Amino acid sequence: GACRVSMSMTEIRAGFTAIKANIQSRDPIRTLSILSHPHSLHKVKSSDRCCITHQLFTFYVDKVFKHCRTEDSFVNRKISSIANSFLSVRRKLGQCREQNNCVCGEESTEKFKQILANYEGLNVTSAAMKSLGELDILLDWMEKSR
Amino acid sequence: SGELYCSLPNPRNVRFESINMKNVLHWSAPEGTGDGVLYKVKYAVYGVGKWIRKPECRNLNRTWCDLSSETSDYEEQYYASVKAFLNGTCSGWMETTRFNPLTDTKIDPPMVNVSSTDRSISIILTAPEKWKRSPEEESISMIQVYPGLQYNVSVLNKKTKKRWFFSISNNTLVVPWLEPGTAYCVSAQIHVTTPVLDSDFSKEHCITTLKDK
Amino acid sequence: DALLPAPQSISILSTNMKHFLTWSPVIVQGATVRYSVEFQGEYEREYANGSWIPISECSLTTATVCNITEDISATVAYKLRVRAELGATRSRWGTTKGFFNRAMTSLTPPLLRVVADGHHLLVELADMGPSFQFRLLYWKKSQESRVQQKVVKEVSSMVHLDTMEAGAEYCVKAQTHVEAINRSSSFSPTQCVMAQGDTSVWLV
Repeated sequence: GACRVSMSMTEIRAGFTAIKANIQSRDPIRTLSILSHPHSLHKVKSSDRCCITHQLFTFYVDKVFKHCRTEDSFVNRKISSIANSFLSVRRKLGQCREQNNCVCGEESTEKFKQILANYEGLNVTSAAMKSLGELDILLDWMEKSR
Repeated sequence: SGELYCSLPNPRNVRFESINMKNVLHWSAPEGTGDGVLYKVKYAVYGVGKWIRKPECRNLNRTWCDLSSETSDYEEQYYASVKAFLNGTCSGWMETTRFNPLTDTKIDPPMVNVSSTDRSISIILTAPEKWKRSPEEESISMIQVYPGLQYNVSVLNKKTKKRWFFSISNNTLVVPWLEPGTAYCVSAQIHVTTPVLDSDFSKEHCITTLKDK
Repeated sequence: DALLPAPQSISILSTNMKHFLTWSPVIVQGATVRYSVEFQGEYEREYANGSWIPISECSLTTATVCNITEDISATVAYKLRVRAELGATRSRWGTTKGFFNRAMTSLTPPLLRVVADGHHLLVELADMGPSFQFRLLYWKKSQESRVQQKVVKEVSSMVHLDTMEAGAEYCVKAQTHVEAINRSSSFSPTQCVMAQGDTSVWLV
């Protein structure tokens, strides 16, 4: 069956929009992307979409948010809001995986390997801040493929 | 050619102004410079390793450059940058923030077409089209770009001054059981919930229902 | 620090997705005691070494209430804590007992005004914030079994519900729905209005 996860995309979007300029200004590297190059999320097959989404939410929860602490209290609070929302959604996606509704194909495994390679190609703080700054790439892709 | 020693102040407020994904780079002249400043522009696809010069925006004596063609893939994000030249000296490159056509564009109001009978009005709404390179190119409606797009429609009874609101997903609305011989004014707005994008309301289109037969 | 007692009776009041932390004042004769509030979501507990995040609007406040709505913005378990401060002296933290999840918020029925304008059935709804949708049920008074439904996601002043048969009475009731916590309020009281009668001119 399909994996249906209700999530308040509007809240996550609002949280990210509030800090987008601040976070992206901390990422000086124009020539590298974690999520969108060399392979675009938009090329992922629909059958792999659930798995990639679950892997990416796990990636953000496990690797990204904890390295994005800033000196700005407002930014930290918005990051906390997004992180806790991701945790809530990741849990629901995990339940789909347990019910075998979120199967990982070869393509999504390869795509996710590429993302991790991009991430590990930078020092951890730069990689985390760049990944957080690319959250709209993930959200745009999720909304388009809803 | 080697870069000159750049002592000119930088261009200011370099940003994209985008309407229906017609993406135009705008900037203000460097502080304290009068006429005669020339500019050149480059842009980059975020995550791709090179800056690309735009030939048509070299030795530019105006403060905008249309990058719609270069930024038409809205699944990508972009940076653009501007450099100023005056009397043999130059400024540094001044960059935009990261530009995401999907979330950073502004959508025009829908086109509103209204017809009436004696006791009803029919409203047909047309969402604007995404910018395209030439009239021959295939049109893409903003509905295709934002599948969750909806319309908010306002109908004002000019006699009673009462205004009603409708929220519809398809592009037609018939309002029956109206007063004959009465003027109704219709305006509509495009509403996208996520990303949050609302157009302005269109200007009002007024029509009078026919007199009772 | 032990001289300054920690705030007591710490609790959270949550109605319609608006959440407030409250506590009893710490009384020190002739002095103004201030308070600071911090929150911790499930993410901070499990992935960020149990870190706490200050709420700047409630740092060094003299109030004994703090609006935590903006920070309780995910459907996970949160903890809140508050301490008293008097000059350089700080009390220990007083922490909420158990966890708070916004899914526990109490939802009240929407405020609704039903209007008949000629043959048109309209409703006016009080705005309750971006988290809220409204589910409206309406029916012709004599046909209670044929209930119709409309979901209103965004409140604007006068929402058009439907057209009514001439002279008929229509009834409406509404409940709120919060997608983020997948819960709905109870229904508002039913309101009924009369459609304008037929105004056709009869030739005698």
